[in-house]
Amino acid sequence: MEKEVILQYLPLYREALLLTLRIGWQGVFLAFLFGLACALIRHRRVPVLRHVVTVYIEFFRNTPLLVQLFFLYFALPKIGIRMTPEVCGSLGLGLLGGAYMAETFRSGLESVAPIQEESALSLGMTPLQAFWHVILPQAFTASVTGIVANVIFLLKETSVFSVISLMDLMFTAKDLIGMYAKTLECLTLLVVFYLIMLLPVSLLGSYLERRLRYAEYGK
Amino acid sequence: MKKKQVIAVLAAAAFGTTFLGAGSAFADEPFRTLDEIKESGTINIGVFSDKSPFGYVDENGEYQGYDVYLAERLGKDLGVEINYVSTEAASRIEYLQTGKVDIILANFTVTEERAEEVDFALPYMNVALGVVSPDDAVVESLDDLGEDDQVIVISGTTAETYLVKNYPEIRLQKYDAYAEAKTALENGNAAAWANDNTEVIAFAIENEGFTVGIPSLGSADTIAPAVTKGNETLLDWLNEEIVALGEEQFFHADYEATLLDTYGADYEDTLVVEGGAVGAAAETETE
Repeated sequence: MEKEVILQYLPLYREALLLTLRIGWQGVFLAFLFGLACALIRHRRVPVLRHVVTVYIEFFRNTPLLVQLFFLYFALPKIGIRMTPEVCGSLGLGLLGGAYMAETFRSGLESVAPIQEESALSLGMTPLQAFWHVILPQAFTASVTGIVANVIFLLKETSVFSVISLMDLMFTAKDLIGMYAKTLECLTLLVVFYLIMLLPVSLLGSYLERRLRYAEYGK
Repeated sequence: MKKKQVIAVLAAAAFGTTFLGAGSAFADEPFRTLDEIKESGTINIGVFSDKSPFGYVDENGEYQGYDVYLAERLGKDLGVEINYVSTEAASRIEYLQTGKVDIILANFTVTEERAEEVDFALPYMNVALGVVSPDDAVVESLDDLGEDDQVIVISGTTAETYLVKNYPEIRLQKYDAYAEAKTALENGNAAAWANDNTEVIAFAIENEGFTVGIPSLGSADTIAPAVTKGNETLLDWLNEEIVALGEEQFFHADYEATLLDTYGADYEDTLVVEGGAVGAAAETETE
């Protein structure tokens, strides 16, 4: 291990970390939106749309992110749809994540007993109020474990971004190894930076879970 | 609960640090000597699978190209089977250092940095860098590039190192593999693609609408087989073999079999290095 080498590469890894985080969180945000929308459509059994959603979920859950990115970045320009690598990365991650989040949210929604909604409505709440104040909070707490697992999964999936020329952590490490062959230093930094990125998410997740489910855990 | 969490974090950290210490434990002689290779009956050779016409997989799934032509001969003269290992530019050194291949024959340009990590045998081809760009916006000098223009390079190539060192202000768009870089250029994702000039010339010949605006850039280099650092028996054998092959003009035959269709006869004497002798450069190679 050469200390100078590590110090020299640190700024590059920091840049890669920021890029990975930026695209990662954009993807996670999109995944939340897509996931919630799809879960609602499925849960409420909206006609026609729910079949579209099923196709979407099965399509994205059963193809690798790598393939999806290839398609977005290399195939779509052939029919005139051009996106920057960053947009492709966020969108690809969002679409993949949305499919997983949809299933997680749906199982959360299904875990809320129907009587909860019936009671809320009988108290004079509008369906929207019932959903927002009664159903969603319970569904969310029930699915928080799955959500955190999905978020970590999505952040780790960023490691295939190199195919669309995004300098994420993985690609930065491979690139430096290719140029200067300091393998040990580069890979060590890679492991450390992934831990820096993911350990806090993991800890925050368990903290959230305990806070949100204090009825079960106690304070 | 709290305690468990602290333990989990510590365990993760400890797991991480074991990687730090483990480096030297695996470093002992990762390579196989000439005798070991002969005994096993198989040699592992790292080649490109997507760099036509030097190393690529043809429509029948067979490896072909200038590098592969040489590999086939090496296998024959050693009397062993060849196991081709497909490699990316950036992993060539890795493959040798970890002993995943015995020889790299993946159009590997000899550079000082690389020579610290692997041992190069005598060269078998000349190369310089070149830049290809679309006909409607030919890049004839790197100084012409606008601020927003990006240049495609392949991670781990000499073109990348050269541009990083000499033109740090140029924005690079990096890809792992040749196939992706070419598609990106075709799709118009960047202003130009910088690579070995052999490669960009071939690309411009095969793809209409592209011109090599800069045919030669940087210093004239050579391409040579590489073995794991310290694998002297294999290195010595390779050097003897390349000198011997020179006597029968093997590399001219190689050129005519694999490169003639792409480059025509004009480039034959520019590209081919016979018997490891590149004029003055030969002495520094064999030091």
